[in-house]
Formats: sequence, structure tokens, C-alpha cells
Amino acid sequence: MLRIRNLKCYYGRIQAIKGVTLSVRQGELVALMGANGAGKSTLLQAVSGLSPQWEGEVLFEGRSLKGLSPPAIVRRGVSLTPEGRMLFPPMTVLDNLKLGAYLRYRRKEHRSVEGDLERVWKLFPVLGERRLQPAGTLSGGEQQMLAIGRALMARPKLLLLDEPSMGLAPLLVKRILETLVRLKEEGLTLLLVEQNARAALQIADRGYVLETGRVVLSGAAGDLLADQDVKRAYLGKDYREFAEGRG
Amino acid sequence: MSMALCRGDVECMDPEERTQRQLEGLQSTLNRAFKNVPFYRNRFQERGIDVASIESLEDLARLPFTERRHLSDHYPYGLFAVPLRDIVRIHTAPGSTALNPTVSGYTRGDLALWKEMVARALGASGVTASDILQIHLDTGLANWARDYKDGAESMEAGVVPLTFLPLEKQLMVLRDYKTSVLITTPSAALQLVRVLFESEVNPNALNLETLVLVGETADDKTRAYLEERLHVKTWVHYGLSEVPGPALAFECESKQGLHVSEDHFYPEIVNPLTGDPLGEGEEGELILTSLTTRAFPLLRFRTGDRARFLPGACPHGCTLRRLAWLPGRTDRLVVLRGVKLHHRQVLTLLERALGFEPSHCRFSIRRRRGADFLEVRLGVDDRIFSDEIKGLERWVRDLGVELTQELGVPVAIQLQEKASFASPEGEAGLEDRRGEDEEAG
Repeated sequence: MLRIRNLKCYYGRIQAIKGVTLSVRQGELVALMGANGAGKSTLLQAVSGLSPQWEGEVLFEGRSLKGLSPPAIVRRGVSLTPEGRMLFPPMTVLDNLKLGAYLRYRRKEHRSVEGDLERVWKLFPVLGERRLQPAGTLSGGEQQMLAIGRALMARPKLLLLDEPSMGLAPLLVKRILETLVRLKEEGLTLLLVEQNARAALQIADRGYVLETGRVVLSGAAGDLLADQDVKRAYLGKDYREFAEGRG
Repeated sequence: MSMALCRGDVECMDPEERTQRQLEGLQSTLNRAFKNVPFYRNRFQERGIDVASIESLEDLARLPFTERRHLSDHYPYGLFAVPLRDIVRIHTAPGSTALNPTVSGYTRGDLALWKEMVARALGASGVTASDILQIHLDTGLANWARDYKDGAESMEAGVVPLTFLPLEKQLMVLRDYKTSVLITTPSAALQLVRVLFESEVNPNALNLETLVLVGETADDKTRAYLEERLHVKTWVHYGLSEVPGPALAFECESKQGLHVSEDHFYPEIVNPLTGDPLGEGEEGELILTSLTTRAFPLLRFRTGDRARFLPGACPHGCTLRRLAWLPGRTDRLVVLRGVKLHHRQVLTLLERALGFEPSHCRFSIRRRRGADFLEVRLGVDDRIFSDEIKGLERWVRDLGVELTQELGVPVAIQLQEKASFASPEGEAGLEDRRGEDEEAG
């Protein structure tokens, strides 16, 4: 579904991605892992059109995304849940969600948007309870749910998630991840960027490990979870958390 | 119903998807090799190759070859790409030209991968959980025996692991243990047939159904003979005896060439003299690059084996590329019972065993009573001669045993008059005289 070949991205004069080839097949949940600065977020930004300075090939359903604006990419069926959620705090939960369906309102799809709101309430009942509350008053976990809900309102075929577990308590991380599994079961394809490699690999089908802008490992999630290199580099922190009983 | 092949999406993957996966595997392998193995890092840097510039499978042709001697040069762990504590198995194979053996390492994940690959190849040969496998290989191929054992066990087949029994005992196991699958080399299989008939065992007394031939090419005539004599179906597997292991390519039910496990190893065929890539259908040397193994990345390894890619699709729908494995080699190695030998390696070992450089010697591959062996003819001089015949006989026997152990194949020593050698130097290298022996009966 998503096929990236030899992607190179620049941040000014710094090359953040140095030739990455990866793919996400229909119905898959793929985890993209790596330390800070490995280039994970940059990659998602390139795919979603937020960072136009890239070389290589990004194909979605066989067609290139090169040169497309972010709204055009959303129309193709790719939505991003950005790092740090990027909500509109003074606006209500409901309005934030409706913003996610902005393109569809323009296409006069009001009725199906209503249906999708119901879907979000079902997925995250707490958002339904607080639909008229300003987004800024929600807890961190609820805000993350809202960010995912908002992305779903565009009816994506592929959902890109940038660090959805960041800053959340373990129990909430678990909730969010369970939601992602549910979305996958409903047929959504997901590319998940995570620093919390253990959590990501537990729900993913496959994974890629990025290191300074390059893929150094890829494979089935189970194999990567058992991999000594991955354990040393990316699971260390989680091990301590487990030892302290916070897992 | 088609057997085993096309079980999952891997064997029948759409070619475009396959290319994507291969490129992903290749690039991450290159990144790891560059990062962790000084040998590869230096070779890339010396040639000014930026790893990121390998953007397609075709670009791979810009990388230098890895040769057998590099494996021995970096004895023992110089080509490993993971810390030693991640290694769970270490294989040693005789080096091909130097004294140093070839050492390869495997992580836990690598072993799982080999299990999967061997099981896939065995599955394609019709092997199932209800089979009983017997592995009959020379010590030089002991590594393969382990991989076959693991792979077969993972399919829940019963395995009689490799034990170095005399042929008569192997035959007893074959008959009494109701072996249904035998894994062996074509030459050992021929020898087995001979011994079977000599010891008056009717093939009907055996449960054998499947003969998996490894280590050497087998021509149609040999296969037909074995199938007819033993009442079996034969299957050919291709592998590398040094690194990384057996069953890299295997026949499926259609028996039209060998499918390469190209989800794990990327094959190329090149002109052995120029190193240039050859097109489909052209005969050349098989080059292999690992795409998934962790401990021991292998980049453009020159196998020395001759092959060509077969065009078109396999009738069974398997999209793994097919190749015809051709007899002979592109280097000066000689394959004896699946084990590769080089005359310089034999000479070095002989010198070490003797403690001096022999003035006259010749090496040849012979066949006696269906059994292939390496014959070492030594010119008798003062250093060798002893007037005590018994002592000399014992010395010859001990020398044979020592070389057999070192090389992993049977070695026979012949003493000869110096005068009978045309020239002192073993310039002839390693002669293959099996043809003469067969004609002589």
C-alpha cells in the first residue's frame, strides 16, 4: 500500500534521512523505531507532505505522493496523528473532530461525517462524554485519543502515528495501543512511529529500526522483540520499567 | 494437490513486492555490514562507495566480490557483524586454500531462519512430519547435517542424526529404522547402492521413498539410476558448505530447476572472468548476497559454482527464481563427496603432517567400488623410507587417518618410486580420475 524507496530528507543542510526503503502492506501494522534524531518523525512528515524537501520515491497505492500538498495527500487516504497531538485547545472536542473531516464537509458528506463521529464515540466513550468540553481541559491520554479520533474523521486508508504513547502513563499507553489493534482489525493500515519499541513491537506485524537516518534492521515484530541488538538499544529502558513493576 | 510449495505468501509473492523486500533487506544488510564489519567498511571506503548509493538490486553489481580466501583471512571472527555474546552457534568448515578454516557464526534468530529455510526445502521435497530422516554425509559436511537435523525436527519429522558409522551400519539403520528420507551426496548414494546389492539387501526391504541429493550436481542418468535401483524419488538441494549452510536452493515438484530462497539470499550470475553480470539464460558463476542473516553478512560471495537462471514461471506458481545448477566449477576447487578441495590446501596439510616438504607428490580424486576418495601419491625418499615394513605401513596408515580427519573426506596414501613421477611439482593440481577408474571397472 505504501512503498518508500531510497527516501532522502533534508532539514536545511542536514540530511536527516539517508536513503530509506520500507513498505507497509494493506492491513498491516508496521512499527518504525529508533532513538531520538534517528529520522522517524521526518519520514512521517515527508509522507504526509509536511516536509516537501525530499528525494526518492514514495508511492501510495501505486501512485507517487511527490509534490502533493498535505490536503491532497489526506484526500488520497493518508492521515497523520502528529507528535504532541497538535490539537486546538480552546475548541471543543466535537469541533476538533469536525476539523478532521474538513475536506469531507467541503465535499458535502455531512451525513457520513455524523456516522463517523458515532464511531469515534464508540471507540473512545470518554470523548463522547466530553464532546462539548474544550480540548485543552482533557488529560494527556484523552488528548491523544482525540488526536487519533480527529485523524480518523478524514476516513484514512493509512494512518500514520507519531509517538502516540509519548508522555502517557503505562495504563494509558496500553489503552491507546489496544485501540490501534482494534483499528487494524477493522481493516485500517497503520504505520506507527515509537520510541517505546517494546510496546510497539507487541502489537505490530513487522518493524523497522532506524539509526541515524538509515534502516539497520527490519523483520517480523516477534523476531525483533527477541533480537539482542534491539533489546540493548531500544528495550533497555522498558526493562527497567518492568523491573520496577511499572509495566 | 501441489505439495508444500506455495504454502505462504513468501513462495508466491508478487515480483514487485519481492523486489521491494529484497531491496529493504539488502540496504539494511549493507548498513549493518558497513557499521559493524571493518573488512566491508574498508572495502567500500577504498572504492569510494557510499552505502546509500546502492538504490536498486542492480546497483549491487557495483560492490566488490567476497571470495573464499577472505573468509579464511579473517579467521576466526573477523567477519561477524554482531557481538560474540549474541552468537549461539559457531560452525567450522575446512578452508579452501589456506590453512585457516572458515568460521561462521549464527545468532538465535539466524538458527531459526535456517530451520525455516531447510524445512521449506524439505517440504518442497515432499517431506512431512510422518517421515523418518537419515543423514549420511562425510565429516566435511557435518555443518549441513546439523542444519538438516534442526530443519527436519522443526517439521516434527523423526531424525536419525549424523553419526559416522561404517557403511554397513548405515545400511542397517536405513533398513531397521525404516528410514523414509535419506539426505546424502550423489556419490555416497551410488556407493550405498553398490553396498546394498553386495550385501544382498533387496531395496524392497527398505522404506526409503525420498532421496535428497546435496553437495554435488547429479546428472539425469545418475538420478534415473538411483531412482530405479532404490525405488525412490530424488530431489536436489543446493547449498554452501563453508558459510552459510545447506538448502539455499531446492527443487519443487515440477523439478524444473532449483528455486533460490531469494527472500534470504539474493542470487546473481556473473561472467567468472570479467565479473560482469550475465543475462537470463547465460551460464556463469553464481554469486550470493545475504539479505536477512544477522551474525554473518555475506556480500556478493563468489560461490565458484556454475549456474544459469531459468526463464519463465514455475508451473507450480512459486515465484522464487529458478536456476539450473551446472556441473563443474569456475575456480580450481574440486568437489569430493560434496566437500570442496584445493590442491594447495591438501599440499599444506600434507607438509604439516609430514613435517617437511615432500619432493614428489600427486593428488587425485579416485573411485573404487563406487566410493570416491582422495588419493595422495608420495614419492619415496630417504626421509620417508624405512627398512621396517611394518613401521612404514603404520606410518602410511596414520598419515591417511590424519589427512582424512583434516579434510573430512576419505584419503588414501600411496607410496611410489620417485622415478615414476614425470615431474616433481604437483602442477597437475588435483586431478579428477574417477572417469578412468569407472572405465577400468
